[in-house]
Amino acid sequence: MLAMNKIKILGTTVIIIAATIITSSCNDKRSTGWEFAPNMYEHLAYDPDQQNGNFKDGKTAQVPPAGTVPVGFISFDYPNTKDGYDKASIEYKNTIASTPQNLADGELLFARFCSPCHGATGQGDGEVTKHGFPAPPSYSTGQSSRGGAMKDLTDGKIYHSITYGVNAMGSYASQLDPQERMKVTLYVHHLQTL
Amino acid sequence: MRSFSLIFKQFSRSVLLIAGFAFLGFSAYAQGDAAKGEALYKAKCSACHKIDIRVVGPALGQIVTAETDDKWLAKWVQNSQGLIAAKDPKALKIFNEYNQAGMTAFAELSDGDVADIMAYTRTTWKTMQAVPAPGTVAGQAAGTAAGQAAATGPSNLVVFSMIGIIVLAFIIILVLNKVIARLERLLLKNKGLFAEEAATQKAPVDRLATVKKLAKNKKLVFFVLLCGTLAFCSWGWVTMWNTNIHQGYQPVQPIKFAHDLHAGAMKIDCQYCHSGAYKSKNASIPSLNVCMNCHKTIDRALNSKTASTEIQKIYDALGYDPQTQKYDSTKARPVQWVRIHNLPDFVYFNHSQHVVAGKQKCQTCHGQIQEMKEVYQYSPLTMKWCVQCHKRTKVDFKGNAYYTNLEQVHKLLGEHKPVSVAVMGGIECSKCHY
Repeated sequence: MLAMNKIKILGTTVIIIAATIITSSCNDKRSTGWEFAPNMYEHLAYDPDQQNGNFKDGKTAQVPPAGTVPVGFISFDYPNTKDGYDKASIEYKNTIASTPQNLADGELLFARFCSPCHGATGQGDGEVTKHGFPAPPSYSTGQSSRGGAMKDLTDGKIYHSITYGVNAMGSYASQLDPQERMKVTLYVHHLQTL
Repeated sequence: MRSFSLIFKQFSRSVLLIAGFAFLGFSAYAQGDAAKGEALYKAKCSACHKIDIRVVGPALGQIVTAETDDKWLAKWVQNSQGLIAAKDPKALKIFNEYNQAGMTAFAELSDGDVADIMAYTRTTWKTMQAVPAPGTVAGQAAGTAAGQAAATGPSNLVVFSMIGIIVLAFIIILVLNKVIARLERLLLKNKGLFAEEAATQKAPVDRLATVKKLAKNKKLVFFVLLCGTLAFCSWGWVTMWNTNIHQGYQPVQPIKFAHDLHAGAMKIDCQYCHSGAYKSKNASIPSLNVCMNCHKTIDRALNSKTASTEIQKIYDALGYDPQTQKYDSTKARPVQWVRIHNLPDFVYFNHSQHVVAGKQKCQTCHGQIQEMKEVYQYSPLTMKWCVQCHKRTKVDFKGNAYYTNLEQVHKLLGEHKPVSVAVMGGIECSKCHY
């Protein structure tokens, strides 16, 4: 009777262990599964977002050296201060034409990068503000925190705000290149009239 | 006499007037209506201020409770730039401390309105201070512990130790069984009853006999072997085909970024963060400054009393201190996201080509990302999958500058049927392998 017990116990242990190994190995979502010739996948060339021991900070995507300017880059030489903001307001003018195509591009970029807070029509009623994010003022009826009405914002003021950010708004310089910022500025001018 | 009464009259009038004003001012300070203040606060102040933590402007609770000069506060609210221009020392100090960010002038708020707001801020700050201390600490500790446990998930260590414990338990049971058997035998020996031992030995022999009997049945043996071979072959077939296919791969990421919250509930466009997708080969993982566009202001879930541990990870990675709002680049260390979608190096794939010229939605290849709490690889990313889509997808020429010339040629040839990507060379080897 005891010997029978032994066989039963051993048998069930083996079955349970086998079952766990089989089920866990087939369904492990945390692993990439079997790989053949993995060196084709983990290649020698570095991906931009890959760890890289050749640099001090361990990143492959390095920031360009200070003072580097991309070819065709339109610089905006106004510092992130109140004076820079006021100076840009007077001196800076958009060099992009107000064509339907540019306006359409601006609308698309505005929808993508600005509308989460500013709302599709620029009323400051974006989806994020409904979930507790501080709402920005409306372009057509609101007051600017730096004085004056939002509908009177000039090219330079809008471009300055996109480049450096203001109050709760961050800088969009990394997401929008100068051309795109101009297109967004064009579209914001359209929203000011709503 | 007359002159005295006149003087007295004038005097009493002025005293009354002053008293009246003083009372008004006093009542405005002492009885500023907190309920009215709350409505005003939410309409005018909450965009830049919070009571307990610094956001764009200072945390109001402490600063307003410390500042008792209500008239000065009213002046500041109505026109802070004026105070700064007049070189008011207190105003200049705050202005310089907060990176010279000007506060909107609220000229439309009367002294009474400002007093209401201040009353609301002070009472709220008082109740906030009265309640939290021990609760928040315990809550935070519990939160972090739970967060860490959930972040690691059932790791290999846990699984193996569980198996180890089970095996150990069985070994213990076996040993105990042996001990029991020995004891029983001793008991039987003492009683002088060996006869039953033979019976116990007979039982396993009987069982083995049935197995032997079955083994002699050749048809059955053949059937069992056939089943085994078939199962092994089909398992092998499926496994071989799925070698190098990472479909369903869902690694644990260093920060539990929830796509269902950001892209789903908040409806933020995919390309807000993955802004490389429309202008580059790589869709790009956003740099942390993109996170900080919002999380400079948002450090916790809506209606949560404690700061989120996941958002804290962004601050840690940047070396950012939410109290002083300063970055310390020496403490910064990059977040090590785990790559999910990985095409081998011998395949060329370009995101912008598919998103802009091809007009494909992100969801076509990546699945319903806006519903995923944790991202997994939705598509197999095999060549068969690529080719199938290139054969089935019709090219949209409309307003598509990339295909202008091709469309003209197509028309010249007199073709009017819609064209698939494959027809335009989308399945030629050198298109992706070079």
